[in-house]
Parts: sequence; structure tokens; C-alpha cells
Amino acid sequence: MGNLPFGRAVPAGSEPADGGPPELAGLLAASARGDQQAFATLYDRTSARVYGMVLRVVRDPAQAAEVTQDVYLQLWREAARFDPALGTVLSWLLLLAHRRAVDRVRSALSATLREDRYAASQSERPYDQASERAQANLEAQRVRTALHGLTETQREAISLAYFAGYSHREVAALLDLPLGTAKTRIRDGLIRLRDALGVADD
Amino acid sequence: MTDHELSGLVGAYAIDALDEPERAVFENHLADCADCAAEVASLRAAAAELSHTSAIGPPATLRADLLSAIGQVRPLPPRVSAVSTLGHRLPRRGLWPAVAAACALIAVIALGWGVREHRQLAGHRLSPSALGALLDSGDLATVSAPVGNAGQATLIYSKSEHRLVLIGQDIPAPPAGKTYQVWMLSPTGTATSGGLFRPDQNGTVLVQASGDLAHTAEMGISVERAAGATQPTPGAIVAEIPLQR
Repeated sequence: MGNLPFGRAVPAGSEPADGGPPELAGLLAASARGDQQAFATLYDRTSARVYGMVLRVVRDPAQAAEVTQDVYLQLWREAARFDPALGTVLSWLLLLAHRRAVDRVRSALSATLREDRYAASQSERPYDQASERAQANLEAQRVRTALHGLTETQREAISLAYFAGYSHREVAALLDLPLGTAKTRIRDGLIRLRDALGVADD
Repeated sequence: MTDHELSGLVGAYAIDALDEPERAVFENHLADCADCAAEVASLRAAAAELSHTSAIGPPATLRADLLSAIGQVRPLPPRVSAVSTLGHRLPRRGLWPAVAAACALIAVIALGWGVREHRQLAGHRLSPSALGALLDSGDLATVSAPVGNAGQATLIYSKSEHRLVLIGQDIPAPPAGKTYQVWMLSPTGTATSGGLFRPDQNGTVLVQASGDLAHTAEMGISVERAAGATQPTPGAIVAEIPLQR
């Protein structure tokens, strides 16, 4: 990469707020060399975030485990091809996992999904469903506080899209919004969330 | 869909809330919209934070199964080559904002890598799929030109795919503090930067680029200061490679 015009130096230990401990990139690099212990540590440090999100999306623990295992197997196989200059290990991992989870629920349209939709849209406090462990987590509290700064429609739209895997068209229908409004609410809500959390990807 | 309408999809795209046809259209747009790419990256980082609220420990059996499974899987080797990337058409408002935007774009595409392997085209490697798209195009063309005393630059390109691969052999190292810069030159002589490159120790260059080749009459290569230039420096052009009409 030395010749890359677009290569950027990454200051050591400068992972953004969502990046977790800065050693994740180091653990991944060791994994790429076949270090199974490093990979196990990487898994231990990230799997609650990944599995919890996937479980929230797919609902079924067996499917959530399957998706999570697929994602980590991919991480193991492709560890050497991850470039830490391009983002954090954790955000990459969550992106892969979310895409897979959403694909899973969309391909498995079922009555269950309808019920979940109902539950998700009826819940007054959809962000309080997490485990005790997550509730005790300061980071989770910080995110919840930021979410409270969103309008209710923004919060619901993001929740339905991110945690229930609905497309913006479906979100519009569920929330009885004109189509253009749903995608705008999602975008505006994410921007507000980003700014409240001080998140930057680079 | 207009660019403005497409830009409105950025939030939904960031959290996988587009349906498949929209996703494809938006990703196509993303390759040409650095602003969108940067916004996607930042919104994805924000969305990743949401997973704090759903964190829950996975079952212990998952850990055991996974650690058992990886014993059967050999990690892929890193990609090693002298490949680097040329950027998309760079706006003339100065190079560094464009470079930063390109970084964000590459970040986005690299994040998507693995999920959608065919989207690696703008990654900093010459992916087989990039070559494949080129080779499959109906208007593949090749042209060569000398660079320096012994060097040779060969372009393989497709105007319909808006894509090119530049292969250099025996390209002399640029003077200290300098770099090569590629230009897309329009029939009226307007120069648009295609990015920077340096040959490896053996004088080999392998870069890919995408851009509006339909309005490019020839490619130029110049020697510029390390940060690149907004316009080619007069007298610093070392190669001019006309494209077929």
C-alpha cells in the first residue's frame, strides 16, 4: 500500500467510539496468520454486539447463531484482506452481519415476521428489550440517550429498518407515511444520531 | 431516478433498507458520488452504535462450534501486488478533498467487500471481477505508449464499462518528492486527474481506474509533486496515449 495515493496513516489506538478496544485490529492481524487464540479473543470481545444485533433482527436464536457463525467464519477466512485504514474491525463485522441478517429475514417472509412487526411497532420502549448486561452497559445508555433526541417517527423508522429488517417502503407502510417521508426520516434520524454520538467513520 | 432522488436514499442504504433493485441502482450511483459515499460511511458508523442496545452474549456452543470450525479453514492469504488505484474523476476544487472523498469511497466499498464481492472494483487491488468486466465488455481496446527511455505503458480499457487498467513496465522511478499522475484529456484539452501512481522497485505498474472515458480523447501521464496537481504541469507530461474513437 505504500504507493497508494489514497492510503492514509492510521494513528495507533485511534479507533472511533464504536471500535472498541484498539487491539481488535491487532487480533485480526494475528488471526490472519492462523492464530486461533487471537481469533477466540476477538470473538469474545465482539460477539455480544454481533450476536445480539443479529438475534434482534432474525428473532430465532438458532438462526441467529447460524448467521453469527457464518459471519465469523468469513472474518477468519478473509482476515488478511481487511485493511484497518478503511474502518474499524467492529463496524465492518456489524455491517457484514446486518446485511446477512436482513437477507435472512427478507427471504423468510412468514407470519412470525408480521407478529414481530406488530410487536416492534406497538412497543412503547423498543430499545429496552436488551439484556440486563446491555442495560448495565454505559455505551448502551449513551446510545439510548441519543435516541431519545430523535423524533418518535425517526426512532421508529430506524428501529423497524435496522432491528426488524424492513425496507424503507415497508417502513412507510407500517408507519403510515408517504414513501419519501420514510426514507427521509431514516436519514435525518441517523444524521442526528451520528451527530449526538460524535461518530465519525474516519 | 435523479441524482437528488438517489442521494435521498443514502440513509436507507446505510442500514440495508433498500430493496434489491434500488440497492443496485444506488450502488451504481455511489461509485460516482463521493459525497454520498462519505455520508454512507458516517451513517453506518452511527448505525453500528445501535448494536450497543441489543448486545447479548451468544450461547457457549456457538463459540465452541466456531473455534472448531476455523480449525478446518485456512485463512486466505493477503493480496500482494503492485496494484494501486486511480480515482474517479477528480473535481478541480483541489486534490485533497477529492482524495479524502476517494478514501471514504474505498472505505465504503471495502466494508461491503465479502458481502458483495463484485463491488470491489474500486478497491486498491486489481480484482479478477474488474478484469472480468473489462474482458467481457464488447468494446475492449488496447493501446501502448513509451514512457521515458525504456518504459512502456499499456492501457486496456472499455469506454462502455468506463473502466481501464494501466500496465507499466520498466517505468523509471519518479524523482524524489515526485509522483506520476494520470490525466484524462478531453477533445477540447480539458484535463481531469485520474489519480497518482508510483512504479514498484522493478518499474512495474498495475493500476485500475474508472471514469468518463467516453469524453476522453487521450490519457496523459505527468510527473508531479507528491501531493499531485490540479492540472498537469506544462512540460512535465511524459506520455500521451490516444484512445480509439
